[in-house]
Formats: sequence, C-alpha cells, structure tokens
Amino acid sequence: MTALPVVIDGIPGAPGTPSLELRDVEKAFGQVLALKRVNLTAYPGELHAIVGDNGAGKSTVLKIVAGIYSSDAGEFRINGERVAWRGGAAEAHERGIAVVYQDLALVECLDIATNMALGNLPRRGRLMLDRKRMEREAARVLDDLKIRVGSVKTPVGLLSGGERQIVAVARAVRLDTQILLLDEPTAALGVRETAHVGGILRGLRDQGKAVICISHDLEFVFEHADRITVMRLGYTVGTRSVAETTRDEIVGLITGSLAPDATEADGGKRT
Amino acid sequence: MIEPTTANATRASSTAQEEPPQSRSPITSLLLRQETTLAVVIVLIGVFIELRNSTFASVANLTQILQSTVIYFVMACGTGLLMIGGGLDFSVGAVFTLGGITTAWTLVHGVAWPAAIALGIGAGVIVGVINNLIISRLHVPPIIATLGTFFIILGVNVQITGGTDILPLPTSFQQLGQTKIFGVPVMILYALAVGVVSWFILEMTRFGVNVRALGGNREAAIGNGVRVQRLDRALYVLAAGTAALAGIIYAAQVGSGQVEAGGASTTLQVITVVLIGGTSLFGGLGSITGIAIGAILLSEIQDGLIIAKIPPQYNNIVTGTILICAVAFDHLRRNRLYRR
Repeated sequence: MTALPVVIDGIPGAPGTPSLELRDVEKAFGQVLALKRVNLTAYPGELHAIVGDNGAGKSTVLKIVAGIYSSDAGEFRINGERVAWRGGAAEAHERGIAVVYQDLALVECLDIATNMALGNLPRRGRLMLDRKRMEREAARVLDDLKIRVGSVKTPVGLLSGGERQIVAVARAVRLDTQILLLDEPTAALGVRETAHVGGILRGLRDQGKAVICISHDLEFVFEHADRITVMRLGYTVGTRSVAETTRDEIVGLITGSLAPDATEADGGKRT
Repeated sequence: MIEPTTANATRASSTAQEEPPQSRSPITSLLLRQETTLAVVIVLIGVFIELRNSTFASVANLTQILQSTVIYFVMACGTGLLMIGGGLDFSVGAVFTLGGITTAWTLVHGVAWPAAIALGIGAGVIVGVINNLIISRLHVPPIIATLGTFFIILGVNVQITGGTDILPLPTSFQQLGQTKIFGVPVMILYALAVGVVSWFILEMTRFGVNVRALGGNREAAIGNGVRVQRLDRALYVLAAGTAALAGIIYAAQVGSGQVEAGGASTTLQVITVVLIGGTSLFGGLGSITGIAIGAILLSEIQDGLIIAKIPPQYNNIVTGTILICAVAFDHLRRNRLYRR
C-alpha cells in the first residue's frame, strides 16, 4: 500500500485532487444498461453519500470501484491516476480501497479476527499465518471503535445481524485505506448502532479519508454526510452539499420530479 | 497454541482450530466436535468386535488396520482440503491408478525410482490442472467435470497398460513400500508425513485460512480480495497429486502397477472418509484429524467385520449407515454452531 498525500481540510468546496473520480462511466449486463452515465467525485476528508431508488445502479458503481466488475466506457481515476482493474478485488485492495458489501461478505465458519484480516492476512515467514498478530490487531481495532462483540475468536456465524454489520465495518477500518466504500452499512442496525456507525464514519473522514456510502436512509445521510450524489435509472442526476440542500430536493431528484442537473456532464465537479 | 501437556485432555482438545465461543461449556464444545463422536464410535465398534473375537485388539491386527488406512488417508488429505475449499473431485479413484501405473511403466522402462515417482505424481498434477481448467474455463460443475475425467482416465489407464498389470518392479522401489522401521510399516510413516503436512497447510498457513474462507463463502472470499482462481487450481492439483501419490505407494506395496486397482469404489471410499471425518460437503468446515479418524473408522469396519465373522455384505450396510449418521450429525452441528 503506497502512502498517499492526505489533504485534511474536510471542507466541501476545497480544491485538491479527488481520491476517487468516475467520469461518464457506463456498464451493461448483456442487453441491460445498468449504468448509462455516472459521474462521481469524492475528495479526501469527505463523507460522500450515494442515494437513489432500487435499481438506480448504486451497487453496480460500488462493484466497479471495488474491482468486481469492469466498466464498459468512461474514466475511472484514483488520486488523479487513471486505472483499469485487472486483478479484481485484490488489486483494488492494493490500491487503497476498502469495501463493506451489502451482504457483508463475511465467512460464517471463521472467527471475527480471521474475517477482519481476510484478503490481508498477517504473515509470519513466507507462508505462515501470524494468528497472534491477527487476533491482537482485530482486538485493537474493535477496541478503538468501542465495539463490543465478545472474543475475537467467536465464529461470525454466532453473531447477530447488527454485530455482523459492525464487524464488516471494522474490517474495512482495519485496512486503513485512503478510500472506503460502504453499501448500506446501517441496513441491519438499530437506532443506537446506526449512530455508532455514523460516528465511526465521521471519525474516518476527520482522518482525511474519502468515505463513500450508499444508503437508503436519508435521515442517516443528512445527519452524517457532507455531500450527496443522487442516482436515478443508471444516471447520476446531481450532487449536492448537505449544507445547501433540503430533503425535498434530494427526494425530488431521486423520484425524478426534479429535472437532473444540466451541469451533470461535468462530473458533479465543484466550480 | 502451546499448552502444557499435563493439562487435562478435555481442555487441550477443545482449544483446537474451530474453537466455539467461550459462552459454551467445555464439555458441550467437545461433544460438538466430530472427532469426539467418531472416536467414541471407533471404541464402541472395537469393543463389540473384540468381544466376538479377541484377536482384534492384537498389535498385529491393529497395525494391519492402520496399514490399510494409509491409501485412503493419503488420498483423503488432498480431497479433504479440496472439499473444505468448496470443491469436489470424482476423478481421484482413476488418478490413483494412473499414478501407480505411470510410475510402474517408467520403472520397467529403466527410469530410476526417484524420477519415476516424480513422473507418477506429475501425471496426477496434470490431471488436477485439467480438472481445474474444465471447471474454471468451460464452467462445467466440478462433479460433472471430474466424473468426465474419471472415465477418460480409466480409459487412458487401460490404453497405457494394454489392460495388464505392469511388473516386475525393481526391488529398490518395492522396498519403499514394504520395509518396516522399528517394526512399523514404512507406509504408515508416509501417511503420517502427508497428514502432518496437510494439517500444517490447513491450520497454520495463510493458504489454509484462505481455503476455509473460499469454502465457507466464495463470494465473500472474492469480495475481500482472496485470489480464488489460484486457490482453486492449487486445490485440484493437491487432490489429484495426493491421489497419484497414494497410487504409487500402493504400487510399491503390492509390487506392481495394477490397472484394476482404484476406480469408482476408491473414489467413493475416499469421499466417504472425508465426509465421515466431519468435512462439510458445502465447504469451510473440516479437519485433517477428523479425516484421519474417519479413515481409521472405515478400515476398522472392513477389518473388524471379517474378524468378527460377520458376513461381508454388512460391511457396506454399516459404512452407509455411518456415513448418513455422520452427515446428519454435521448438519445438526452446523445448526447449533450458527445463527440463521
């Protein structure tokens, strides 16, 4: 993992190289055009929400950034550098992207510590697993985030839905990457846990990371996000600063009762 | 995990790999392990047979049981790793034969035994790669792909040998399978070595953890950047490689490359051993110790029923019953282990 220049300003509107930039990205599955034109720019020190109705293409965007799918057209930049995934999710990992999937991507038969280290297992020598270090690291991350799920040796299969979700978030935090993507991170959570996750995400933003979060939960988005990009039917229809928009405007963009931005073609870039 | 050896056995065995959460009592967690149940079954069957014929528990007979465990266990190590990784290989019974006759054929054509063994294992490795390519490139489900190669290799085996066994094999090679060290047949030591290496791979290496992740939840492994295609290939190569190795050991033991050895019954026995040992057909769960105990159990039944003068048809009836019970128990165990 390369050390990246961290721009800690956290103020929407500040210039700088975007951590993540999608320009006119398209993706088709057979005859179905899942993404028709997607523009997204996320800066360091920003909590950026992606909202939209079911089928708007939010998860497809996430999977393109995560290296699971490749885009058919358009540009994809990380820290200003154009990339095209070849090595799938493993390569995305190496380029400093951590992902929390909607299905959480946890392995039930493995314990919490192993799940948190999956894809990035600490090594001892060339081949051996450093189990002690793995467990220590997991315990430290959970501790730092004030997450209490019992022993890190507990199989994930024994955890409740909410606990699993929080372990998945903690796993992404452990990777300590510059860019974090989360797909519906609060879907299975109660009120208090949702606030907890919101706090964790804001903490990461304050460390200068670009946190991109897909969510249905507008209350969560308005409470924690800095900017919101709205997707509709495979297009990004607009990006708004939370401070300068209203819930009605966002709902309007989601449902299509408000027209998409004319400037959308410039990638939602701040001027 | 290093514990004082004086610690009582209950504690020590419950600290092994799939450690259940601490909320569960040590006794419950021990009972939840497949190995425990199987060990109890082995003892019960042993006692039953011993009562009918007291030669059962003799050193000679117990050694005989272990010796007949070797072939199944060596094969089951590779197949077990593959199945823990979520794969399946039906071709191992034919690869077993292929490994034996490849080594035998090269031996009778004047190749030195180390090279002949390497070529035999190499033949297995090639089959493993082919199995993996058929599954990953042609998207044929593993069970069908390897059933197909099973039949193809059976045909190739007859083609190589002309349908007759290959012999005589050089004594230097035969000794590899027939000598004893301190009274212990050397074959048993081979099995021990394969078992230790397999256990080490599964429990101590990053590869082993990734194998469990792959079998436990393939999508999650992919999403977390585990290089699943490489893992898949390695696992199919391991399964076929150990099958070929077992065939070579068998050839050394019997002193010939037998074209009729192996086949469908060997494939089914090996998969049965792996499943009885607590490996889930759906991947993720399983252990080498479980597989070892499963292999011993199967040999015990085969040997013991003869000694107890029970008609041979009961052999299959008992094996089938134990397989069903073991898998039913595995299901129960999973239900107790995980929330749904």
